[in-house]
Amino acid sequence: MFLSLLQGFRQRWNGWIAISGIGALAALLPSLYILAGLWGEPGENWAHIRTYILPSHLMESLQLVAGTVAASVAIGVSLAWLVAAYDFPLRRMFSALLVLPLAIPPYIAAYTYGDMLSYTGTVQKLLRNGLGLTPNQRYFDIMSMQGAVFIFAMFLFPYVYLMTKSFLERHSAAYIENARLLGHRPLSVFLRVVLPLSQGAIVGGASLVAFEVLGDYGVAKHFGIQTFTVAIFKTWFGMYDLESAIRLAGALMSVLIGIFVIERLLRSRKRFNASVSGGAVLKRKRLRGIPAALTVGFCSIVVLLSFIIPVAQLTVWATWTYDDIWNDRFPAMIRNTVSVSAAAVCIIMLMSVIAANSLRMWRSGFTLAGSKLLLMGYSIPGAVMAIGVLALFLSLDQALSGLYGMMGLGEGKLVLSMSLAMLVFAFVARFLSVGFNAVDAGYDRIGTKYAEASRLLGYGITSTFFRIDWPLLKGSILTGAVMTFMEVVKELPLTLLLRPFNFDTLATKAYQYASDEQIHQASLPSLLIITLGVASVCLYHFIGRGEKA
Amino acid sequence: MNKKYVTGMAAIILGASMMLAACGGNNESNANGKQEGAGAVKTESDSGVVNVFTARHYDIDFAMFDEFEKATGITVNEIKGTAEELVERMKREGENTEADLFITVDGGILNYAKENGVLQPIDSDAILANVPESLRDTDNQWVGLATRARVIVYDKELVKPEQLSTYEDLAGEQWKGKVLVRSSSNLYNQSLVASMIDLNGEAETEKWAQGLVGNFARDPEGGDRDQAKGIAAGVGEVAIMNTYYIGQMLNSKEAEEVKVAESVGVFFPNQETTGTHLNISGIGLAAHAKNKDNALKLVEYMTSKEGQEMLTNGSFEFPVNKDAELPALLKEWGEFKTQTIDFAKLGENNKAATALMTKVGWK
Repeated sequence: MFLSLLQGFRQRWNGWIAISGIGALAALLPSLYILAGLWGEPGENWAHIRTYILPSHLMESLQLVAGTVAASVAIGVSLAWLVAAYDFPLRRMFSALLVLPLAIPPYIAAYTYGDMLSYTGTVQKLLRNGLGLTPNQRYFDIMSMQGAVFIFAMFLFPYVYLMTKSFLERHSAAYIENARLLGHRPLSVFLRVVLPLSQGAIVGGASLVAFEVLGDYGVAKHFGIQTFTVAIFKTWFGMYDLESAIRLAGALMSVLIGIFVIERLLRSRKRFNASVSGGAVLKRKRLRGIPAALTVGFCSIVVLLSFIIPVAQLTVWATWTYDDIWNDRFPAMIRNTVSVSAAAVCIIMLMSVIAANSLRMWRSGFTLAGSKLLLMGYSIPGAVMAIGVLALFLSLDQALSGLYGMMGLGEGKLVLSMSLAMLVFAFVARFLSVGFNAVDAGYDRIGTKYAEASRLLGYGITSTFFRIDWPLLKGSILTGAVMTFMEVVKELPLTLLLRPFNFDTLATKAYQYASDEQIHQASLPSLLIITLGVASVCLYHFIGRGEKA
Repeated sequence: MNKKYVTGMAAIILGASMMLAACGGNNESNANGKQEGAGAVKTESDSGVVNVFTARHYDIDFAMFDEFEKATGITVNEIKGTAEELVERMKREGENTEADLFITVDGGILNYAKENGVLQPIDSDAILANVPESLRDTDNQWVGLATRARVIVYDKELVKPEQLSTYEDLAGEQWKGKVLVRSSSNLYNQSLVASMIDLNGEAETEKWAQGLVGNFARDPEGGDRDQAKGIAAGVGEVAIMNTYYIGQMLNSKEAEEVKVAESVGVFFPNQETTGTHLNISGIGLAAHAKNKDNALKLVEYMTSKEGQEMLTNGSFEFPVNKDAELPALLKEWGEFKTQTIDFAKLGENNKAATALMTKVGWK
C-alpha cells in the first residue's frame, strides 16, 4: 500500500508539495496528539464524567453555539449584503469599522460588559445616582446564556461579515443583476439569490465562529455557562485528570470531523460554480430616505455595541489606573507581542501560500481533510493544545540531546522547549488555517486558467507563481496576514504556558489582572491589544489604497 | 526538473530564511536587559539566578522579586501559567527541568505537585522558623506564603451577625433564595467543599451541598466581587467569598465599589466549631532544582517579616509569619479560629469535591 501511495506521489511530485506536506504535518501533530487520547484506556473518572458532567455541558454548549451562530450569521450576512449591494451615507466608513470587533478578545469584552452592567457599573450607576432608579437586576444580567450569545455574536460576527462580503462583491454580480432585471424585489433577491449563492462563504464564516465559541474558556467561566470546554477544565483542574480531559477534547474533535464529512456529502451535490460571473463587480444601488436612515442606524448600533462602547469604557478605566499600572516593562511587552506575532504571521503566510499553491494543482480528499483538520484544531481549548505542543517539544529536546552535548550545551538540556521557537510553532499550528483559508479563497477567485496557460507556455510552477499568481494574490495574502496577526496578538492560553522565561505579552498582562477580577487594571493592556489590531487593519487599508493609486 | 524551477525554489528558500531571520532578529533584539523588561534571561553560567514557575500573577509578587534582586544580586526568572499546567510541565520535563521553585494558590494543588514528585523537602531552619507547622506540608515539600479566609459576607441592613453561625447553616431553610456564591469551576469553592468532606464526611457534605444549591439566589455567575455586588443590589443576602476581595473593593477607584464593600459585613464562620476555611498560597522547592541555594534564599526572604509585611500590604492576604505586622483592615477584622486540617487532605478530596458539586447541580 505504501508503495502505491509513493508511486501516486511521485507522479505529482514537486517541491511545493513536499514543503507544504511537511509543514502541514508538523502543524497537525498537536491535534493528532489530542485525537490519539481517544485510544487510551478510560480513567476511573470517566463514568462520573459521562453521567454527571457530559449531558448538561453538551446541552449548554449546543445552545451557546446554535445561538451564537444564528445571531452572527443574521448580523454578518445582512451587514455584508447592505455594504456590498447598496450605497448609503458613510458606507465606506462602516465597511471598515465593522471588522474592528475582531481586535477585541471576547473574554475582555465579557469582563468589560459584565462590569459595566453590574450594580456598580457605569449603566446602573447613572440610573441610580442620576435618575434615582434602582431597576431589577434581572434586566442587567449579562452573565447568562443570552449574555454569552450577545458577547460572542458581537465580537465574532466579522468572520461571517468579511467572508460573505468579499464573496458577494466578486462573485454574485451576474446573478443579482439578472434577478433585479427579472423584477425581484430586494427582499426576494436576498432570500432567493443571495442566501443560497453565498452558502459556502456563510458556512465558512459560521464554522470559524462555532469553533472559536467551542474553544473558549474565559467567557464561559466568567459567566458561569456550563460548556464542553468548562467540562474539560473541571476534569483537569478539578479532578486532576489530564488523560480524561484530553479524551474529552479528542471526542469533541472527532464529532466535528463527523459533522464536516456529513456537510461535505450533503453540499457536494448542490455546489454553485460562481466563477461564471467573471470579473464583473456588483454595482451598488443608492439608498435614499427612510431605507438609508434605517441602514445607517443598523450599522451604527452594531458598531457602537461591538466596538465604540467597550473601547470607551476601557479607556475611562485606563485613565483611572494608568498611574499604577504603566511601568517601564510595558514597552518590552509591546515589542514582545509585536515581534512574536510578526514572526508567526510571516511563517504562517509563507506556509499558506505554498500549501494553497500546491493544493490547487493536486486537490484530493486527503489534502482537503488535512486542511480542515487544522481548522478544527481551533475548537480545542488552547490550554489542552498547549500540552500537545509541550509534549512534542520535550520529545524533540530528548531526541536532540546528543546533538546538544556535541554543541557544548550539555546533554539533557532543554533548548527548544525553553525557547521562543515553541511558542511560535504553537501559533503556527493554531492559526495556520486562518491564513490558509484567506490565500486559498484568493486562489479560488483567480481560478486556474491563467496558471494553466502559463504552464502550457512552458513556465514551471515556481516562475508561474511569481509572474502570474503573486500580483493577483497580494490582496488575499495581505488579508490573511492581517486576520492572523489580530488572532495571534490576542491569543492567551498558548502564550501563557509556552513562553520562555520572563517573556510577557500584552495578553498575558491583561489576563494577570482580569483573572484576579481587576478589570479596571486590565484595561490598559487590553486597550494596547486592541490598538495593535486596529493598527494592522489601518495598515491594510493604507497599503490597499496605495495599490489602487 | 528544469533550470528555472531550481532557481525559483532556491529563491523561495532564500526568501523564506531571510524572512525568518528578520522575524527572529526582532525577538533577539529585545532581549537586552531586565531593566528594560521582559525577554532577558541570565543563564546558569553565572549562577546568580533562581527560576520560578509561578501560578500567582500578582504585581506584589513581582515587586518582591525585584526587591530580592536588589538586596542579593540574584536574578529571578519567571515562567507563569495556571498551576495544573505548570505541574504538568515540570513533570514532563523531569530531571531536565529549569524550575527551582513552584508557587501557587491552594493547598490542594501544592499537594498535587508533591504527589507528582516534582517537589523536594525544604531543609532550611530559617524558613521553617518563619512558617508555623500548621501552614506547611507534612514533609516540608512546600511552605505557606499567605492565606485568605473564605468567609460569609452579609447585607448589613437585612442580616444580623447573630443569625450567622457556620457554612453548614447556609444550607438551612431560613436562607432559601438568599445565598450567593460563584461557580463550582472555581478553585476556592472546590477547596472549601474538599475541607468539608474531610470534616463531615462525603455523604453529609453532599447533603449540605444539595441544600446550599437549593438556597441559591441565582445560578452561580461572575467572580467573588460579583457576589458582594449581588448583595448590594438586593439579589441575595449572604455570600461566600474571600476576604481579600473586600480589601480590594475598599481600595477601588470606582466609588460605587467602595460603597458596596462598606455596605456588607464580614463574618468568620464556624468559630464555635471547626474554624474558618483558609485558602493557602505556598511555595515549593522543585525536585530537580539546579539553583537550590538561591531558591532557598528567595523562600527565606518571602517568608521573612519584611517580605511578609510587603506581601500583606499589597494583597490583603493574611501573612504566615506571626511576626509580620498586619495592615489596618486585617487588624480590624481581628483574630479568628481557622480550620486545622492537613492541607494535603484538600488535594486528596478535591476530586471528590468536584464530583460531588457536579452531581448536586452546583453550576
